[in-house]
Amino acid sequence: MTAATFELRGLTAAVPGEKGAVRLVEEVSLSVRAGETLAVVGESGSGKTVTFTSALGLLPKPGRVIEGQALYNGTDLLSLAPEALRRVRGAQIGMVFQDPLTGLNPVFRVGDQIAEVLRAHLPIGRREARDRAVQLLGRVQIPDPARRVDDYPHQFSGGMRQRVLIAMAIALGPRVLIADEPTTALDVTVQAQVLDLLSELREEEGMAMVLITHDLGVVARQADRIAVMYSGRVVETGTVDEVFRAPRHPYTISLFRSIPDLDAPAGTMLAPIAGAPPDPQRRPAGCAFAPRCFAAREADGCMSSRPLLTDGAHAVACHRQGMLEQAA
Amino acid sequence: MLLYVARCAAQLAVALVGIVTVAFFLMRAIPGDPAIYMLGDYATTESLATLRARLGLDLPVWQQYGMFLASAARGDLGASVVTGQSALAEIWSAVPPSAELAVAGMSIAIAFGVPLGVIAAVRQGTYVDVAVMALALGGISFPVFWLGLVAILVLSHDLGLFPALGATSEPGLWPAIHHLALPALVLGLSVAAYIARLTRSAMLEVLGQDHIRVARAMGVPERRIVWRLALRNASIPILAVIGVTFAWSLGNAILVEAVFSRPGLGSTILKAILARDYQLVQAGVLVLAAAVVLLNTLLDLVYGAIDPRLRKA
Repeated sequence: MTAATFELRGLTAAVPGEKGAVRLVEEVSLSVRAGETLAVVGESGSGKTVTFTSALGLLPKPGRVIEGQALYNGTDLLSLAPEALRRVRGAQIGMVFQDPLTGLNPVFRVGDQIAEVLRAHLPIGRREARDRAVQLLGRVQIPDPARRVDDYPHQFSGGMRQRVLIAMAIALGPRVLIADEPTTALDVTVQAQVLDLLSELREEEGMAMVLITHDLGVVARQADRIAVMYSGRVVETGTVDEVFRAPRHPYTISLFRSIPDLDAPAGTMLAPIAGAPPDPQRRPAGCAFAPRCFAAREADGCMSSRPLLTDGAHAVACHRQGMLEQAA
Repeated sequence: MLLYVARCAAQLAVALVGIVTVAFFLMRAIPGDPAIYMLGDYATTESLATLRARLGLDLPVWQQYGMFLASAARGDLGASVVTGQSALAEIWSAVPPSAELAVAGMSIAIAFGVPLGVIAAVRQGTYVDVAVMALALGGISFPVFWLGLVAILVLSHDLGLFPALGATSEPGLWPAIHHLALPALVLGLSVAAYIARLTRSAMLEVLGQDHIRVARAMGVPERRIVWRLALRNASIPILAVIGVTFAWSLGNAILVEAVFSRPGLGSTILKAILARDYQLVQAGVLVLAAAVVLLNTLLDLVYGAIDPRLRKA
């Protein structure tokens, strides 16, 4: 097994609150290797985005990382000086965000925006940056790149804008690409094209990819491994095969039950998860999922102590783990 | 683009007609009679009537207005009733010193206001921000004639850095700049305060936008993000406030000209109003209004150059 290209160890990020620090994400440990895609899933507010923005030092103030490490090829990014961290961002680790409509600067030509990224890291002139921008636009399959390079973002469709943003993210040949719900804002037909482009690029470049999503269908098609997050913590992680075939955490199990199944008999009702995820300021004392859990039991400590992630390739954080397996 | 320019020109024409119309009727609504002013209190009724007839003042106001518009359309704004010279020519001769003051004042305002606003936004919540905003509040609150007097007292009288008079007949560039500095600074500071406040809020808004987060994630240096990527986005509201404050600072310029005894449009128009010199006032108002409207038209064109989305509109 090769070493992880990008690894988070016990990452905890918080914002100051009225009653002390509010922990947005707690003790998140994840890793991704070259050529591999790790899918991070969870509902809105589960801390998927916060995890990776804080790992790159991009968490907006007054939020900050209070514990843990973010290792890129063994170097802890969080211990780097701001300028050293800036040189890693964009160059070594690329990031693609959720909303391509607002992700591009409306008053600059797309070519100039790509050139801005190139020139932030390379000692090249305007002309060379522009030539490379044209190549990059071709790389992300934008038709007629030599002409489109001088267009403004509003002259592109949503899918094309996401391609431009992907071109910016891969401009410097990063070893890690973090894609934060890259297709959520796009319409369905375009989603598949963008996802295919991302996996093509990952294969060609041998990048490690983190795909943040809440679409389990996307996970099944694109990812090698999966990490399920709930209320700021990783509750289950394993290969996509393992987790899809035998989900262990009650939250993961409930997630699969809530997906519409085309093969189910007509009239079958979906099984939504009752309730809502807890506010990070008022997490229950025990397992954060306990109030919504079908298996939670007082006697096992679900209400009183925080379950820890087990060791091993298919890890889970649940007090009822043993009992659930026996039942299955 | 041509259509855009044509539309701007049409707006310009409509605005100018509206403004001279208001000026025309306002002047005639003020009590007072130019004929009495010119001939004095002891003039005979006949001589007053003759003069009024010569000036066209015996006609109904709407007819005077029609005649005024007709000749104005040909570029003739009439003659000053006091000097008998062409009103436009007389006003025109007062334009250069005022233009100097306005351009110097606005340059100072932009040179101070924009960077201070940007710095305050970047350092939001720190003592730098608080200090800049306190200064800006002061700049907005103190009337320009008070600032002018304090500037004369401290910088000119006590420290002797600048002359107290805002103009000079000495030849050469340096004496002119030296005399212009204080009035321009006084005029510029209050506008700088407005620009700084607006720049700060515009920058804060832009710096919170997604594309800035993207630029940060791509490793673009913070200095480039602030001064290039964000500032260009924020420049539309900043330019808009420059357009608005320009009109306002023309009004202030009249006060500054008075405080520093500078010649210019301010003193010329003021004298004309007191003399009920209708033609001269109208010409003056027209020139001032044209300056404001032209600047704003120019800004409209600049908006289009900055933000391509505004071009189609």
